[in-house]
Amino acid sequence: MDSNIDFKNIWQQQNISQPNIEEILNKLKEYKNSSLRKLIIANILLITTSGFIIFIWYYYQPQFISTKVGIVLIIFAMVVYLFVYNKQFSIFKKIDNTLTISKYLQNLSALKRKQKFMQTTMIRVYFIMLSTGLGLYMYEYASRMTPLWAILAYAITFIWIGFNWFYITPATIKTQQLKLNEIIYKFKTINEQLEEKSHK
Amino acid sequence: MQKMLFEDIYKTYWQKVFRICMGYVNDSNWAKDIAQDTFITVLQKLDTFRNEAQIGTWIFRIAVNNCLRQIEKTNRLPKTALTDNFVEPESINLEEKVILLYRFITELKEIDRIIISLELEDVKQAEIANIIGISEANVRVKIHRIKEILTLKFKENG
Repeated sequence: MDSNIDFKNIWQQQNISQPNIEEILNKLKEYKNSSLRKLIIANILLITTSGFIIFIWYYYQPQFISTKVGIVLIIFAMVVYLFVYNKQFSIFKKIDNTLTISKYLQNLSALKRKQKFMQTTMIRVYFIMLSTGLGLYMYEYASRMTPLWAILAYAITFIWIGFNWFYITPATIKTQQLKLNEIIYKFKTINEQLEEKSHK
Repeated sequence: MQKMLFEDIYKTYWQKVFRICMGYVNDSNWAKDIAQDTFITVLQKLDTFRNEAQIGTWIFRIAVNNCLRQIEKTNRLPKTALTDNFVEPESINLEEKVILLYRFITELKEIDRIIISLELEDVKQAEIANIIGISEANVRVKIHRIKEILTLKFKENG
């Protein structure tokens, strides 16, 4: 069967008024600003929190080693989080979209798998360090309370951590995973289309 | 100097890039977004372009990769099903055939959409092979098959 429809002619009738070149230039500026803003906000937020904790250390002069270890763990957790977050940001920028489709797809899939690892494993590591740090940090202050209050303080803290660990974190991970898996799967099917040899 | 060059590129390739994106998503606003993103990348990376390929090939690669990247925007699904009763203002004056052609192309598999769009844009088959990363023979057979499918669809729709 040969086509006698002039597809090229039909195809080329689709036109859209060309946006002003300034629009492109503005969009570029906007794009640069917004991604930079996100990065700066995340960094400022965590650095301020760490600064605040260090201030507490300096101002209240904790006596117990456990308090100090706790503080170090909490700060370390935040540094790790920040490192991963920043790294993820830079990988995103590094993806080269001037490659052939097959190369580009490979890179994108690799990136998505990395993202998956970061979102699952790293969030757990972050959480374990943060909760351990908090538990240690509290010990000095709890030890000065009456046993009842100390137990209560720990109970409340660990209920809150447990709620996060068993409910919020799995739920967050699950939605992100679903989305990422879907994307990875989609990339895989497109890649299969590339490898697919013509049947006829 | 470089800005001058970009302006030329932008003038020469805007409609082509737009149509390729349109063949992929069949939604003029969305296609316009992808086309604009493509030119942003072109602008950002123009100084890394080393003539190892033709400038057209290079631009089309960025465009089709951007199209593929749309998968990540799951909240924005192609509205192929809607085109029946939904005609966008820009499309009103276009012949019905144009609307049908773009709709049929969007119904194809992702890679096929890209291949046929490039072919209809008069990109040489060797270049298409170069953009996608498959053999030229494979491109030829695929184009032949896609045209058959499109012809069939046109016949079915009167």
